[in-house]
Amino acid sequence: MAIKGTRAENGAGSPFFFPVIAFIMAAPIFAVDTLTPLDTAIAVLYVAVIMPSAHFVGRRGVLAVSGGCIALTSISFLIVHQHDWESSALVRLGVSLSAITITSLLTLRNQQVTSALREQANLLNLTHDAIFVRDLADRITYWNQGAEELYGWSRAEALGQMAASLLRTRFPDTPASIQAALLADHQWSGELTHFKRDGTQVTVLSRWSLQMDKAGRPVAVMETNNDITERKRSEAMLQKAQTELAHATRVATMGELTASIAHEVNQPLAAVVTNGEACLRWLGREVPDLGEARASVEHIISNGKRASNVIARLRALARRADPDHMPVNLNDVVEDALALVEREAASHSISVGLDLKAALPDISGDRVQLQQVVINLLMNAIQAMASVSGRAHTLLIATREAREGGGECGALLEVRDTGIGVDPQSAGQLFTAFYSTKKEGLGMGLSICRSIIEAHGGRISFAANADHGMSFTVKLPALKEQVP
Amino acid sequence: MIAIIDDDESVRVAIESLIRSFGFRTSVFASAEAFLASSNMPQAHCLITDVQMPDMSGIELFDVLRARGAGLPVIFITSFPEERVRRRAQEGGALGFLAKPFDADTIMGFVFEALRSRPRPH
Repeated sequence: MAIKGTRAENGAGSPFFFPVIAFIMAAPIFAVDTLTPLDTAIAVLYVAVIMPSAHFVGRRGVLAVSGGCIALTSISFLIVHQHDWESSALVRLGVSLSAITITSLLTLRNQQVTSALREQANLLNLTHDAIFVRDLADRITYWNQGAEELYGWSRAEALGQMAASLLRTRFPDTPASIQAALLADHQWSGELTHFKRDGTQVTVLSRWSLQMDKAGRPVAVMETNNDITERKRSEAMLQKAQTELAHATRVATMGELTASIAHEVNQPLAAVVTNGEACLRWLGREVPDLGEARASVEHIISNGKRASNVIARLRALARRADPDHMPVNLNDVVEDALALVEREAASHSISVGLDLKAALPDISGDRVQLQQVVINLLMNAIQAMASVSGRAHTLLIATREAREGGGECGALLEVRDTGIGVDPQSAGQLFTAFYSTKKEGLGMGLSICRSIIEAHGGRISFAANADHGMSFTVKLPALKEQVP
Repeated sequence: MIAIIDDDESVRVAIESLIRSFGFRTSVFASAEAFLASSNMPQAHCLITDVQMPDMSGIELFDVLRARGAGLPVIFITSFPEERVRRRAQEGGALGFLAKPFDADTIMGFVFEALRSRPRPH
């Protein structure tokens, strides 16, 4: 039995230890009870043998000790009062035996409760979570094995210490406001930074629950800490890898867009140069035409600005930066993306239809990454139509407000082409990395698109159109609070 | 009259201004189709056209004109000069093929050349 096992461990090593102690304690009581003519219930003192027995022996042991004490008491009585069973002596015997019996029963009950508690405490040791209890003054009153393993402080070292200073806790909020939340909700959870005994830092997911006494007053806090240092690290690494991959695919997309980009830049530059030359011509006439010259200069200025806007857009796309979430309007993202892809569509004789609803809720997102998604979807659509002949090449781009059944509001983008479509076998793999239906495709585009959209809390899906081609749909949740 | 086709308005306006500053009449079009449909077309002595345009490209327009037997001198301008397209234009007998941005002297040289060789069958 587990209880016995624990008892034996808790007892002082040798199996003879307790019987010896019990004998040493019981012998003088027996001697006094038997040999001295005191008219008192000396035998009551046997309770001092019974009570500690619970600490060393099991239920049967306690019963045996009690039986022994009852036997010794009876033997003393028989020796002393061989013939005269006077009533006062009988009363003293009764008192002694009652005391011994009651004590035995209480000891047994106490032993049972203690062992149940100890079993529960042992269960807390089985978990790998670090669990400790601290009183309202932050002093540690319980410290499980998980806590010993995580923090490197043994139970003996931790008990009585102030938790926050032992672990050098860094809170995500002010301790006062966390305390207030704990008192209000009777629980709190959040990420904490702790330091182990050896000085290394751990990030834990911490769950606190407030313990109350019977009157409902808070008495202690149980803190369960789960080490998430590794998880946080791999999350950070994954995010970094994704950022880099997104950047790499953006740059690759820009490579595919060279013709369009050259066009976007050269077009305003051509206008600047030609307007400049024209301006000189107007000024160099016999009668300078200032009106024409002025118009030329105005054109130069506006085209210079246009060129610089193109460059700014490209630089943003080429930048390698961590995602930066800001309020974004999906229509602006579509227009920016379209500006870069328009030429590509034109060169494949694709007519672009735009249906952007003005009343679109803002979303929270990284503009560059979202632009990348839209560019990717548009490029895919264009490439899917490039090889198709015999029907109109139409690219439809639509945005509208999306309302879910639960009333959750969002912004929706649909990109619809009349291209080659995708065969049902390949459809399941479209979002898989390194899967491509294109000869020179890396197979990263849609996979990146999906991770970007999912990182924005949105969803991306596709469907074959009833007639020709495919439609991709992106749904993004609306910005929760309007940022002023 | 010099006809100018470019889908980009700012380029169109700039070339038009340059040509007018030399005292020539101009007629501008936003697409090859608009040019072909225009009643001004027969009066053009020279055509300056962009290459990459939505729907009909400058090269396709060139093919149509040649198929019709029109000997209209054509100067191509492009913001993304591709060797393949340049060769095709030259083989087809285009007067010039210029990358944007271009010098006024260069394009006007071609314009003057077009106007000099004006004997142009209507």
